[in-house]
Amino acid sequence: MNKLSTSAKVYLTIVFIVLYAPIFYLIFYSFNSGGSMNNFESFTLEHYQAVFEDSRLLVILINTVIVALLSALISTIIGTLGAIGIVTVKDSKMRNTLLSLNNVLIVSPDVIIGASFLILFTMVGIKLGFASVLLAHVAFSVPIVVLMVLPKLLEMNKSLIDAALDLGATKKDVMMRVILPYIQPGIFAGFFLALTYSLDDFAVTFFVTGNGFSTLSVEIYSMARAGISLTVNAISGLVFFVTVLIVVGYYFITSRTSKRMEGQR
Amino acid sequence: MKSLIQATIAILVVSALLFYAADALSAGGGKSGKNTLTIFNWGEYIDPDLLKQFEKETGIHVIYETFDSNEAMMTKIQQGGTAYDIAVPSEYMIEKMKEENLLIPLDKTKIPNLKNIDPYFLDLPFDDDNKYSVPYFWGTVGIVYNPSLVGNLDFSSWEDLWDPSLKRKVFLVDGAREVIGMGLNSLGYSLNSLDNHELREATDKLITLAPNVKAIIGDEITPLMINNEASVALTWSGQAADMMYENEELDFAVPDEGSNLWFDNMVIPKTSKNIDGAHAFINFMLSAESGAQNADYVGYSTPNIAAMDLMDEEVVSDERYYPSEEQRETLEVYKNLGPDYLGKYNELFLEFKMSIR
Repeated sequence: MNKLSTSAKVYLTIVFIVLYAPIFYLIFYSFNSGGSMNNFESFTLEHYQAVFEDSRLLVILINTVIVALLSALISTIIGTLGAIGIVTVKDSKMRNTLLSLNNVLIVSPDVIIGASFLILFTMVGIKLGFASVLLAHVAFSVPIVVLMVLPKLLEMNKSLIDAALDLGATKKDVMMRVILPYIQPGIFAGFFLALTYSLDDFAVTFFVTGNGFSTLSVEIYSMARAGISLTVNAISGLVFFVTVLIVVGYYFITSRTSKRMEGQR
Repeated sequence: MKSLIQATIAILVVSALLFYAADALSAGGGKSGKNTLTIFNWGEYIDPDLLKQFEKETGIHVIYETFDSNEAMMTKIQQGGTAYDIAVPSEYMIEKMKEENLLIPLDKTKIPNLKNIDPYFLDLPFDDDNKYSVPYFWGTVGIVYNPSLVGNLDFSSWEDLWDPSLKRKVFLVDGAREVIGMGLNSLGYSLNSLDNHELREATDKLITLAPNVKAIIGDEITPLMINNEASVALTWSGQAADMMYENEELDFAVPDEGSNLWFDNMVIPKTSKNIDGAHAFINFMLSAESGAQNADYVGYSTPNIAAMDLMDEEVVSDERYYPSEEQRETLEVYKNLGPDYLGKYNELFLEFKMSIR
């Protein structure tokens, strides 16, 4: 960091301002007593109070976070195993086909994925609600995780595995002690990307919510018809706060483990 | 490896805690189908206190879900999967849902409060004798404008939109029926016209409006008007009411040549599992007190005459929201045009959009 030239620092600062300004602008007005985003009258917490008094909204907020966490977790597990599976396929044609199939899912429009899930779920008889939303989110997150984990696997030196096997490691040991620790940054990256995908997905989620189970994106979309109220700002502020908490938590976990690793050395 | 396991456990623990919290918050929610009522409504289209009141009065637990377009709502009801007991579609969608057999006929003996509704809003072409639907809110399509930015135009005629002083100042809503309908109205034709000649003429007329058009957009128009960044917009009366609430300078006008009268009505979809509860809810919403409270909260015009007596005199006498009977004569309700003509309207709207710039 200390090696950065002044111009690089200025550039970096500008980039960060551009990225964060809209979010802070939004959060700033969530404390406005004026009732709109036009002019700031005075400080108030009434919009946050409104969120906490509306238990329906609060349940939706919690649901959104639960779905995001669980779907990201499940899709990370599936996606990581999938990526390892794809790498172990020897036939390069087969491997490319698998990869392309994975990529097709990433670029296919959300609306189509959502509509097909709705048709599938109602046909199979899965009740729309928590389970259907979770399944749909897992489904569209898995390909992303695969894509995040794959580069790490490809960059790994195959002789590491051979060496471990030569030294008497079992297949389980190789997986647990060589491959997984090596690709760990990719796994976390995949997890966080899946998390954000799940948090902000509207198109797929709209089709598969039902029976009283809804997520924030769906709710905010229908609220926006009457103009964005400052309650939406307050919720966004809360979501941003939760996201920051998660990232800080992740930072602590990684810095602690790397410290311990250094200590072992 | 260890951090992976730690992270997994942390996520599971947090999720479990959140599950517990969500469960505690929605406590009192009876899980049985008999005693719950699932309502599917537009976003921000009801006073949440009314739902609580209804729960208290009847002991029925309410599940409330929202949608943002008629088409999306219809798709979900058609597919099933959720047992919606009440939905609130607009008039043309009611006609379509009727055709597709998605609605249950109402039992009027269970809705005595129907007497509170202005007879003017009953027995309309999209639902004869209100067999399937009762009015919830209504409104018009008109022009919201900022008098300080448009000179002395008052938009008592659609022609004012063509005024050369409005070059690149007019915003239009992104709806084929609204815009083509406005073109038809400005020529004195019906906005349900099925006459290809009239439609052609209306589109040609609209194309001459192109130099005045700044943009064709949706809800983004609200903040622009509030911040005095836009001067004229074609929009719905309810949206205009929102704008005027924030910016008192603004005014709203429905031109004399006529315009659209729209309705959102309550219906009971075929998916309903609690038909008695649905009737109870409709009756509850039609009472004078609920009607007044809801109209106060939402800001749209209520069709409930008894409720109007309980509301602020200034609001109900405002002809911008509650047009006089004489003016209502000029207003028309959208008819379902059928897929062919709907396609035609969309095509002409696209042609108009392409002529801009």
